[in-house]
Amino acid sequence: MTAGLLFDLMMALAVLGTAAWTLAARTQFAAVIGFVATGLLLSLVWVRLGAVDVALTEAAIGAGATGVIILYVVARLRGGTAEISAATPSRAQRALAALLAVAVGGVLALAVLNLPDPAPSLAEAALAGSAPLGLGNPVSAVLMAHRGLDTLLESVVLVFAVLAVWSMAADHRWGGAPGPVFRREESGPLSLLARVLPPVGIVVGIYIAWVGADAPGGKFQGGTILAAMWILPWIAGLARPPSITDWRLRLMIAAGPLTFLCVGLAGFAVADGFLSYPPSFAKPLILLIEAAMTLSVAAALACLIAGPPERRLPPESMAADRR
Amino acid sequence: MTQLLLLAAALVLLTVLAGLWRVLRGPQRADRLMAAQLLCTGGIAALLLVAAAYGIEAIVDVALLLALLGAFTSVAFVMAARLVGSR
Repeated sequence: MTAGLLFDLMMALAVLGTAAWTLAARTQFAAVIGFVATGLLLSLVWVRLGAVDVALTEAAIGAGATGVIILYVVARLRGGTAEISAATPSRAQRALAALLAVAVGGVLALAVLNLPDPAPSLAEAALAGSAPLGLGNPVSAVLMAHRGLDTLLESVVLVFAVLAVWSMAADHRWGGAPGPVFRREESGPLSLLARVLPPVGIVVGIYIAWVGADAPGGKFQGGTILAAMWILPWIAGLARPPSITDWRLRLMIAAGPLTFLCVGLAGFAVADGFLSYPPSFAKPLILLIEAAMTLSVAAALACLIAGPPERRLPPESMAADRR
Repeated sequence: MTQLLLLAAALVLLTVLAGLWRVLRGPQRADRLMAAQLLCTGGIAALLLVAAAYGIEAIVDVALLLALLGAFTSVAFVMAARLVGSR
């Protein structure tokens, strides 16, 4: 196990080092890059721990989506020095927060070190419970069936997050298109990448969402890739975001939670109650929810990255959007 | 064979961590970004080696995802930098 031990030691030191450095970074850009690098290294750690599902999520949402969201926040906050310093907690508050974080981390580490051997685990129960649903991936079985309510609430949170971002808009911009306008790139590396990568990325995104039933993957990871594949042509100026009043956009964002809720309510009629699936028909229902959720995650993440509406569409183009 | 592959992964990681120094030090944004790209590419290589070492195919999917999002994130960084510059 020497090579494995070497690998683990290096990873642990690298993660701790980048995390500490990210906290101490002087410029915001450097901090965001440090954050993304930490997330990337963390996903390698999750792979080493055998949690490939978590590694995928960390790489897609932790490093990718969250990194880009924070990045555009940084870009927007330029020039808002007064607002930033007003919102920055005082030195004492930060020291207290650090103390609390260290205490929680320390207690957690102590708890993990004092676990009995073998550690108590629900893995056997989860594995046994996934077969009757027709799912090969016990993580998906837990997320969609055994702890379905948590996942449903998570999916609703995503809709609320989009609403919160949109409500940051000034009154006169309500109904406009989200995000800044990017100059249209007709040639050059960005335009090439924005044309070549999305066809590949869309296939991979759908694949990752689809494979989640039987192997690590799922709606959140797949949806993140799909969102990225829309953001790319957007920042190249090749795609235009729809107005936030566009009913198709709103339907896309709400489709996942809505489908989840409908299937959950149908459980009263055809199975044992809310969010329970009829055994013979469990997998198709779960796949239906996963498909709708993938669409919603993609739309919601793209909206979160694009931000609040920043401009009003001219009346004629709004009319064109309606048609 | 597993030991050998893991050792190779550790070596790849070691070279990448040398690049991590540039992510942290800069001094230019471009330096950080290029080093972050290297970190991503090296991470993909290490993941593929670990996937072969343990025979877990799902790890290849993680590498695939990193390959896609790595390119995407770099572009997002460049555009955000441009957005800041134009204001």
